[in-house]
Amino acid sequence: MPDNKNRRRRLAVFRRLLAYGLLGLLITGFLWPRPVMVEELARWQFGQILAHLVSGADHWLIVQLTLMIVLTWLLGRWFCGFICPLGALMDLTSRLRGLFFKQKFGPTPNAPRQIIVPLALLLLFWLGVTAPFGLLEPYSLLIAKSLWYPGPNLLLIAVIILAIFRGRYFCDHLCPTGFILKILAKSAPFHLHINNSCLGCGACARVCRASCVDGQTQTLDPGRCLLCLDCLAVCPNGSLTWGRIKANANARRRAFLGRLTFGVLAMGAYFTPDALRAKTLGPPSSIPILPPGALSLAHLNAHCSFCHSCVRLCPNQALVPSEHQHPALWNRPVIDAYQGFCQYDCVLCAGVCPTGALVPLSLETKRITRIGTALFERDECVIIRNGTSCGACAELCPTGAVSMVPTKAGRDEPVLQDNLCVGCGACQQACPVRPISAIRVTGLLVQQTADSPVKIKTLDVTMTEDFPF
Amino acid sequence: MNRRTFLKTLAGSALALGLDLGSGLGLSPLAPRRLNAQNFPDLVAVKGSDLTVMFDRGLEALGGLGQFIKKGQTVLVKPNMGWAVTPEGAANTNPALLAHIIKNALNLGAKKVYVFDNTCDNWKDAYRVSGLEKAATEAGATVAPANSDGYFQKIDLPGAKTLKSTQFHELFLEADVILNVPVLKHHGGAKMTAAMKNLMGAIYDRHPLHRLGLDETIPELTLHKKPNLHIVDAARVMLSGGPRGRGDSRYLASQMLIVSPDPVATDAACAKILEANGIIVPRYIELAAQMGIGVADLNQLSVQRLSA
Repeated sequence: MPDNKNRRRRLAVFRRLLAYGLLGLLITGFLWPRPVMVEELARWQFGQILAHLVSGADHWLIVQLTLMIVLTWLLGRWFCGFICPLGALMDLTSRLRGLFFKQKFGPTPNAPRQIIVPLALLLLFWLGVTAPFGLLEPYSLLIAKSLWYPGPNLLLIAVIILAIFRGRYFCDHLCPTGFILKILAKSAPFHLHINNSCLGCGACARVCRASCVDGQTQTLDPGRCLLCLDCLAVCPNGSLTWGRIKANANARRRAFLGRLTFGVLAMGAYFTPDALRAKTLGPPSSIPILPPGALSLAHLNAHCSFCHSCVRLCPNQALVPSEHQHPALWNRPVIDAYQGFCQYDCVLCAGVCPTGALVPLSLETKRITRIGTALFERDECVIIRNGTSCGACAELCPTGAVSMVPTKAGRDEPVLQDNLCVGCGACQQACPVRPISAIRVTGLLVQQTADSPVKIKTLDVTMTEDFPF
Repeated sequence: MNRRTFLKTLAGSALALGLDLGSGLGLSPLAPRRLNAQNFPDLVAVKGSDLTVMFDRGLEALGGLGQFIKKGQTVLVKPNMGWAVTPEGAANTNPALLAHIIKNALNLGAKKVYVFDNTCDNWKDAYRVSGLEKAATEAGATVAPANSDGYFQKIDLPGAKTLKSTQFHELFLEADVILNVPVLKHHGGAKMTAAMKNLMGAIYDRHPLHRLGLDETIPELTLHKKPNLHIVDAARVMLSGGPRGRGDSRYLASQMLIVSPDPVATDAACAKILEANGIIVPRYIELAAQMGIGVADLNQLSVQRLSA
């Protein structure tokens, strides 16, 4: 049936175009000034939703997650084949395998080692050690700034090279999201299967990047199948069909146990208090300025999966991955006040976070959210040291926490009012003293609320004479 | 007449003649600088309620904007748009005034009119919230970014004692005509910002100026290239909490526009407005006069006071 084969091939091409399209959208999305589309894509990443669940989910998130879980339980790992942008990138690069090997791909048996890494990542994540999960969560891995920032993302390069040699090996052995989807999809009732017209040619097994088709036993493992549909396209006589599968009792029992374990873990994660998680990482030696909405160092540590959406979005380039300055924070976002300061009227980073590590803030709340405290070293100030005029810190201070006050010496000096300081870092950046500013901001373990700046009605003065000159 | 008085008279006349010659050549710091043979005033101050009408009146007194812009020239109009503050806050130049100047420049046959500022707040926010980007674009100007060092070129400042070199925006360097259109405000660090201080938005790195002293370095920004005309928006003057303005800022309803080709005279006039309201005159005006950049003593100049 030649037309039947064309239809199968069209299905595979459709899948590929969709996945590549989403990947393209993601990459080009970041070139736009306000990557709205990217925010939406992030909200549909299974791993990010899971991470968000841990930081307290709203009703919409629960609906979304339930929908994705049910669809995966029924239809298999459609997420990995159709949505996952890292998967699409690995599909693209695994096409280069032909340059190195004659043989395309082949089946590998199920083995316990396939679950070691992802299971460990998930357990650690739910205990509050989110760094390893964040490093390998596919969305974060693809779009995050490098662990060796500002250098290239070596981890991503390694995963892409791995894809050339082993196809979607990552999805089966390392990916924490893939692991959960695998548990859910293990005995999907609607899936691809091999019927008895199979000739045993092995074409499907050779093309399978997930190594889920075994030509010898003529079986296909829905737990590992990523629904790339390439096997459909290559089968010479349509022995691979999609439809209702009746799994045997043993397989169903194992799948049920798997799901039960996952459910218990998820519930445990949802109800684990933050206080318990916080203990797993001690405070770093020097406290960095955390982005507004991070609430506390413990909260950020427990929930950030370092996708770095906030880092990319920050209009002042104030947010940087913390790796080189604050090792205890791993790769989480911090404000480098020498590079940029936290814009007073901006809440972009808190709004973009897909995992709830940064809680969304209204502009009013943000304006009085204290993320750090300024420290003024009077002896370092150029005004005191050189007797010249400066005032750069007071000029930039958005709340009036630093103001210029006249002194007996006949010059104006910066004076700090702690209760108004929000710790935005504008004064530190503006200060001309280098390498260490005379006024600088230290972060807070727990973010606080600052006093609102004075709200006296502005006074209009009239002129006494028409031309005072 | 005895010998002594004769010698005195001779010396006096020689000095007067020398000054006169010097003024003709633009050498003497004391001499009023004349725009051309017709006796236009050195500085025009206009009182009024509408800045665009005040601008027209002021420029009419100076012989028209055509004195400064010739057909086919590239014009830079440099406002103060450093802050993400709405026009009511008077932290930035008035958008209607900027638009009016741009339209006038284009009507005179300017090939291209550019607008930029190296902002203090995030540049996109400052350009947008100030309303200046929209006003300038609609008036026909090209609004250029100034947020990265790639747009700037390092220039040595001839004769500078403190700031030996700085990086100027390439549009500042390339423009045939520069119209400096600041807003007059109190300034926490420099005490006052008007004409000369506004040039800190035409350079890239402001840290050295703060480090070396604002009073000493601000005048030196005019040493490479002087703007052709300074038009100061002093319609509503921030008297405290500058340069951004705060919840408790005081404002002066001065309703004035000051126009002059002399940056020092412009700032001196502006300082008088602030001085009458208790703000100390910044030292950089006197320092600029000593450097021969312009005249600080308004009594030596012809000042025209108008109302519109």
